[in-house]
Amino acid sequence: MENASLRQIRGAKELIEEGIDAAALAISDVQRKMTQTPYALLAGVKPIAGPVRAIERAHLKIADSVYFSIRLGNRLVGNMAGLVLDQLEAQAKRKGRS
Amino acid sequence: MADEKNASANATHWGATLASFVNGCFGDYLDGRNNGLAIDMAFYQNNRPLDLTPEALNEALPAPTGKLCVLVHGLCCNEWSWDFPDQPARSYGSALQHDLGHTPFLLRYNTGLPIPYNGQLLDELLERLLAAYPVAVDDLVLIGHSMGGLILRAACHYGAGRAAGWVDKVSRVFYIGTPHEGAGLEQFAHLMTKMLHAMPHPVSALVGDIANQRSQGIKDLRHGTLLDGVDFTESVPWLASAQHYLIAGTVTDDPGHLASQLFGDGLVQPPQAGENVRLFPGVGHMQLAHDDAVYEQIKQWCASA
Repeated sequence: MENASLRQIRGAKELIEEGIDAAALAISDVQRKMTQTPYALLAGVKPIAGPVRAIERAHLKIADSVYFSIRLGNRLVGNMAGLVLDQLEAQAKRKGRS
Repeated sequence: MADEKNASANATHWGATLASFVNGCFGDYLDGRNNGLAIDMAFYQNNRPLDLTPEALNEALPAPTGKLCVLVHGLCCNEWSWDFPDQPARSYGSALQHDLGHTPFLLRYNTGLPIPYNGQLLDELLERLLAAYPVAVDDLVLIGHSMGGLILRAACHYGAGRAAGWVDKVSRVFYIGTPHEGAGLEQFAHLMTKMLHAMPHPVSALVGDIANQRSQGIKDLRHGTLLDGVDFTESVPWLASAQHYLIAGTVTDDPGHLASQLFGDGLVQPPQAGENVRLFPGVGHMQLAHDDAVYEQIKQWCASA
């Protein structure tokens, strides 16, 4: 495979990786904002305010861990793809020299 | 073996087409991140950039002439947008070479970069081309499709500003489906993102943010921006030493039809009628880059004294 094609494939990989990361961050932020209002309303009812806050904290922790897993998995897959591309580039260089 | 070669050529073709599309959408981001998908501006031949050295040009051009034509494609496209669909080897460039002896140079560039920046790059590239060209150049014809026309106008402005040698050689500039007064679709997109951000809801704000990720090149089409910090093309004079020709299309055969009045060629509204303005009813925006009738008009204008 040509170096120019490999450079483009690496570029596409980086763009997809950055896109997924940015999307996970943005969606997580939207989800936080959207859940704020119902929890705030429910927390306004004094007898259930304590449990509502506890549920909200648990909900946010679970949501955060889900988005963190998505970003971590994305980073891992990206790094593995990067290693494969490194190998292919090295091969292409060796072919170019011989 | 031949099948393998065809498959490889097809994959390369699709890869380059996809890269050009992505450059149009997010080209400024790619350039800022030094991403491998970002296209460097160059003249291309057979999907490869031409080295602008006398040796490389001698090798690439078997019979160079003193007349050149430079073709600049539009947003999200590359030099293949000039190819006639039923005759891929034919373009306005190759046809002008055959009929009038103009040696064609097809530009490929990152259409997501700001139009003024691409104009400056083209100004420098044309200077390097003429410096390395193996024959003395006495005529330079510029042809731009859509955004390409704005980039030509910007390049002429910057070139004239620093008295670049290539500017004096320009005899004619053709603007094909060029949004000199801005593109309606981008004006609509701008309005939509403003409205989405004005809505007090996180999802609409997110959609607005996503839409706002579109490249600066696209955003510059809103007003046809040619210069940094200046929005309107009216503030940039046309290159005085050259003839300028405007070519436009409409979506219907009847230019008076409501659809044509509203949508022009599908993306760009036609300019007002004038001496060097020609309207091609029924020819859509993309087809303007490879249409027999349009080519005949260009040839006729090129051949005129």
